[in-house]
Amino acid sequence: MTVSPLFELRGVCKDFPGVKALDNVSFEINAGEVHMLVGENGAGKSTLMKILCGAYRADEGTFFQNGQQVRIDNPADARRFGIAVIFQEFTLVPYLDIAQNIFLGREFSSRVPGLIDRRRIHAEAKRVLDLIGFHIDPRTPVHKLGVAQQQMVEIAKALSQDARILVMDEPTAALSDRETELLFAMIERLKKKGVAIIYISHRLSEVFALGDRITVLRDGRKIGSLLPAETTPDQLVTQMVGRPVDATYTRPSRPTPGEVVLEVKNLSGPSGFSDVNLTVCAGEIVGLCGLVGSGRTEVARAIFGADHVSTGEIRLDGKRISASAEDSVRRGMALIPENRKAQGLALARSIGDNIVLVGLRKLFPSGIFAPRRAIKAARAVIDKLRIATPSPRRLVATLSGGNQQKVVVGKWLNADAKFYIFDEPTRGIDVGAKAEIFRLLDGLVHNGAAILMISSEQIEIVHICDRAYVMRSGRIAGELKHHELTEANIVRLGIHQ
Amino acid sequence: MSTTALPAQIARVPGVAIALIALCIVFVLTSPGFATSPNIANVLTQSTILLLLALPMTLIIMTEGLDLSIGAVLTFASIILAITAVSTGSLALAFAAALAVGLCFGFLNGALIAVFDIPPFITTLGTLGIAQGLSLVVTDGQSVVGIPRSIETIYSGTAAGIPLPIILAALAYAVTHALLYHTRFGAYVFALGGNREALKVAGISVRGMLIRVYAFGGLMAGFAALLMTARLNSAHPTAGIGMEFDAIAAIAVGGTSFERGNGWLLGTLLGVITVGVLRNGLNLLAIPSSVQVACVGGLVIAALFIDGLRGEQ
Repeated sequence: MTVSPLFELRGVCKDFPGVKALDNVSFEINAGEVHMLVGENGAGKSTLMKILCGAYRADEGTFFQNGQQVRIDNPADARRFGIAVIFQEFTLVPYLDIAQNIFLGREFSSRVPGLIDRRRIHAEAKRVLDLIGFHIDPRTPVHKLGVAQQQMVEIAKALSQDARILVMDEPTAALSDRETELLFAMIERLKKKGVAIIYISHRLSEVFALGDRITVLRDGRKIGSLLPAETTPDQLVTQMVGRPVDATYTRPSRPTPGEVVLEVKNLSGPSGFSDVNLTVCAGEIVGLCGLVGSGRTEVARAIFGADHVSTGEIRLDGKRISASAEDSVRRGMALIPENRKAQGLALARSIGDNIVLVGLRKLFPSGIFAPRRAIKAARAVIDKLRIATPSPRRLVATLSGGNQQKVVVGKWLNADAKFYIFDEPTRGIDVGAKAEIFRLLDGLVHNGAAILMISSEQIEIVHICDRAYVMRSGRIAGELKHHELTEANIVRLGIHQ
Repeated sequence: MSTTALPAQIARVPGVAIALIALCIVFVLTSPGFATSPNIANVLTQSTILLLLALPMTLIIMTEGLDLSIGAVLTFASIILAITAVSTGSLALAFAAALAVGLCFGFLNGALIAVFDIPPFITTLGTLGIAQGLSLVVTDGQSVVGIPRSIETIYSGTAAGIPLPIILAALAYAVTHALLYHTRFGAYVFALGGNREALKVAGISVRGMLIRVYAFGGLMAGFAALLMTARLNSAHPTAGIGMEFDAIAAIAVGGTSFERGNGWLLGTLLGVITVGVLRNGLNLLAIPSSVQVACVGGLVIAALFIDGLRGEQ
């Protein structure tokens, strides 16, 4: 006896100008199942989910609910079938309370005509929150909640609309470890209640920890549906990128390190680090690792001059620099921050504008902007980094996360910096894009630049760096030369003894 | 609460309350006429017109919008009211005409902003010019006089010993409060500034809501025109100039943020009274109105400075 899946998409195709976003993709979800959807940036995961929730219309394809053919032409259709999406950007109103957010647009009417029944809204909200085990006063304004709590409110909102299929798009991207555990516990509860969950993730660990089934998309095609027990992380990555994981990036040979470019002596600062000594030479990539909170980012910001320093000195090319970001940039230092949306990109401008922004002085020495030369320079970067866009004139906001990160990094190709600090350059991007970012870093050091790279992923440090410093509680716990640079050594130095 | 240390309790008092108390202390000490009951009634009565403009403006600012035209629309509505009253002799008809003028301008603002996506600053700067220009064209720059004298009772009359304008303003405040905190419309105002995507996802028309917010602003400008005309017993083509400045100032002093739909209606009420107290106190000290404008500007910066200082803690 075969049971029809709760919801099924068959043979879905979707074309965008110049791109085949989805090519004959089929996907099904059962009640009480967590179905992982994985793939590189641009593989078609988001497009598929937007078709499922009615935001896009498929060019071809049929939909079935419990075996019955149905149509999804708009978001209202999807809602009627119990499909709800928790987007990464929440749809919450900060200065309304939790209850009013849950029932936004569906407020209960009071007996007085025109007014809403706030008491009933609060009571109903309390009921939904209790149902998912989120114990909080529904009168709390949403702006007072953390990201994880806001996510819980989104989930409550979806369930209050009788959602039976919940789509979550990288729900742990902004959560701490503790919050992630709470989310996972909630997902388990929802499963028991028979809610089907489609979970998009880039983190292999959670794909295996949570998933009942895994579907891999690549370049708009479905590569396969797997059971976690029957596959390994390596096999999964191979399916995602289409090539063996070890081949994603091989580090080319590097030139012998040249002169010392950056020298930091006995640096201490109020943001929580002390007595930091480190050097970075020309043609070298040096890792700065340690646990989150060990002071890595603080040291990097202090070196760049963005934060105060209490004692110690920083020398660039042997010359002492005053701790101001302006001075640092003038002398050829560059900091590529971790939070790309807030600190690294002009979202309302085109990809080309963003790319040439840093190198304006070098590209246009006369001071007059030449659009053609700018587009040409931008195209060169786009090709080099394989940024997925038909034109440099497109807005940066239209790119996926990984491609945005490539733009953040890529704009420095046009700059003249001789010393770069990269703070988590690969955060939130997929395996293929990572390799391209690494290729870029290699290109920079080949041209004689020096790089200090912060990363939480030890494997990356091992793969790409020549040396690494490991921080622990605001101090340098040790330096690892190239032959000592292993994941085990990084962990050993970074953890409290 | 009694266990909380006093400094911590003070830190929770909003900047507008501190500004208001500080101003009252200064004027009590410097001008003997300030703390008399006729003067206090006077301050409150004079603040009513400003409140009628500041209430809807608070909602507009909460949508991350702005209405610069509100003073000019008040002026034009007041002129139409006066002309209608003089030519027909009917005050009811005249009032209806003023409300209609306000509503039309509000609707025009909302439509231009919501449908044609013109930024509120530009849109309402444009309609400010239109309303101001029409006022001058229609009147040829002269005051409109000869309105039936009975109109004066709206501004100078009392009910149960309370001046009528204060009763009308209290009514307007109560209605706006209910609108903002107890209706769907109010919830959507928070959402317009806080997260428009949330409205779209909930299937609510962002355009429709924006038009209503600006239409409400226009209607209230028409309402304010009744009080203004009753007060002057005539209409002047320059009567409402700069009132948008005082309204925005009062709202800023009252702690409404210009971002993310963070508004506080009671703060606006306190802000309006603070601006009223400041102007009244300066009048009593015989300080010219040009200097008063500068003082209102200083008040805005001072109040936001206090809030900013405490926000950092």
